[in-house]
Amino acid sequence: MEDLAPRVAAYLAHRMPAASNIEVSGVSRIHGGASRETFRLRASWEEGGTRVERALILRRDPVASLIETERDLEYNAYRAFHPTGLPVPEPLYLETDLKWLDRPFFVMEQIEGCAAGSAFNDDPYGAHAKKIGRQFWTHLGHISAADPQAIGFSANMEPVAPDECWARELEKWEKVIDEDELVPQPVARAAIRWLKRNPPPPTEKISVVHGDYRTGNFLFDGEGNIRAILDWEMCHLGDPLEDVAWAADPLWAFKQPERPGGMIAREEAFRLWEEASGMKIDPVRLRWWEIFNSLKGLAIWISAGKEYQTGANRDPVLAFSSWYCTDVHDRVLAKRLAALSKEARA
Amino acid sequence: MKPDVGVVMQGFFGTLLGDVAPHLSAEYSMGHVGIMGLMLHMTGELHDRAADIRLAENSEMRSLFSHAAALVEDEALKQRLTSAAETLDASLRISVLEANNAELAALLIELQTHVEGSQASWAAGLEARIWDYLVATMERRELPFPSFG
Repeated sequence: MEDLAPRVAAYLAHRMPAASNIEVSGVSRIHGGASRETFRLRASWEEGGTRVERALILRRDPVASLIETERDLEYNAYRAFHPTGLPVPEPLYLETDLKWLDRPFFVMEQIEGCAAGSAFNDDPYGAHAKKIGRQFWTHLGHISAADPQAIGFSANMEPVAPDECWARELEKWEKVIDEDELVPQPVARAAIRWLKRNPPPPTEKISVVHGDYRTGNFLFDGEGNIRAILDWEMCHLGDPLEDVAWAADPLWAFKQPERPGGMIAREEAFRLWEEASGMKIDPVRLRWWEIFNSLKGLAIWISAGKEYQTGANRDPVLAFSSWYCTDVHDRVLAKRLAALSKEARA
Repeated sequence: MKPDVGVVMQGFFGTLLGDVAPHLSAEYSMGHVGIMGLMLHMTGELHDRAADIRLAENSEMRSLFSHAAALVEDEALKQRLTSAAETLDASLRISVLEANNAELAALLIELQTHVEGSQASWAAGLEARIWDYLVATMERRELPFPSFG
């Protein structure tokens, strides 16, 4: 494995001219970040006569990934939300010059002493499920309620009209399936046709959409406090119900459909989101985004399968996603669309 | 082949998770081993039923096409459905069954799109039959997933 420590130390020296005797240790890659290589490390240096030590996270672009994303989107999301009080790590440096670590990367604060629940665990949060669930949905309400312009999220972000959110997202993910499918996908294609035939009403507000807000993408401590909302690489402007539907998608903690993500009951979850966001959930729009999100999931898993099959990336998590997640989302969508088809023909 | 492939895969799954993963020091490697073990578990079962699943799907799609060919008015589509309904799986190799399955699935997408746009008296029934097939297929393909709860 490449020795990143001296290269990271050289970079930190470049970014912190007042620091001296910079040492980087404990560089360890974190498993699961298939869209970006994620490393934890400790950096220490002398500054103003004292020794300073800080735990950091380095997120570097991979050679190929589960989803093709721009690292500056994620970095800018952290930068926008960190001052608002939402639990996100403090972003420190964004670097696009390849001379440092061969690929673009960013550095942020490491939130220590925390864990992330597995999206594929039956009961990812155990005794803390209710406490974590209430925070999870309230935080999402706050993200949805945020003014993207006021917090600086909209800078360099492609604008979208309230009645165009759905079409933009659908076009984006349909293109992924067009480009990456290895075999014909009857269920995905039926979903695309249904989504086009049944466009949702316009969103009442253009919000920040996290894009991957779910079990597994936040850290919590031993007391059941959510300490960091992570993985903003798919964030964009759009309909806030996109995030609500993704967070409640049946894939997460699949064996507990009555408790999205293995946390709290769907009704309580949605009530908390409404309270925190100040918006009401329109069931017609929500249904559209639920079906869209299962399709978006399929697009991601199909893309992961292609990456692995072609050898572009041999991370086992890509093969697993392509097998297991495709299996779940195909089944969820088939049942749902079959019922809608019969309803429409009745 | 003895021991059975399923037994070997389950055994490897247990060995990787119980004997190998705990002795790895790198979190990243432990994660890889966990996923690989899980996929061996899945492979053990898939190995036994993979051919059966694809054979059944291909047979059901051909039957569906034969039924649909008698209903649809579009002559070009009718001809393609008839031709596809008469094809056979010449081998039980998974690669052959998969290739045939992909060809049939592409035609199924075309048929379903056509039916969705039709208001003919037969359309609702055929659309329901296609969905019954797709739901049954996805149920049949469900992967085993061990509980870690």
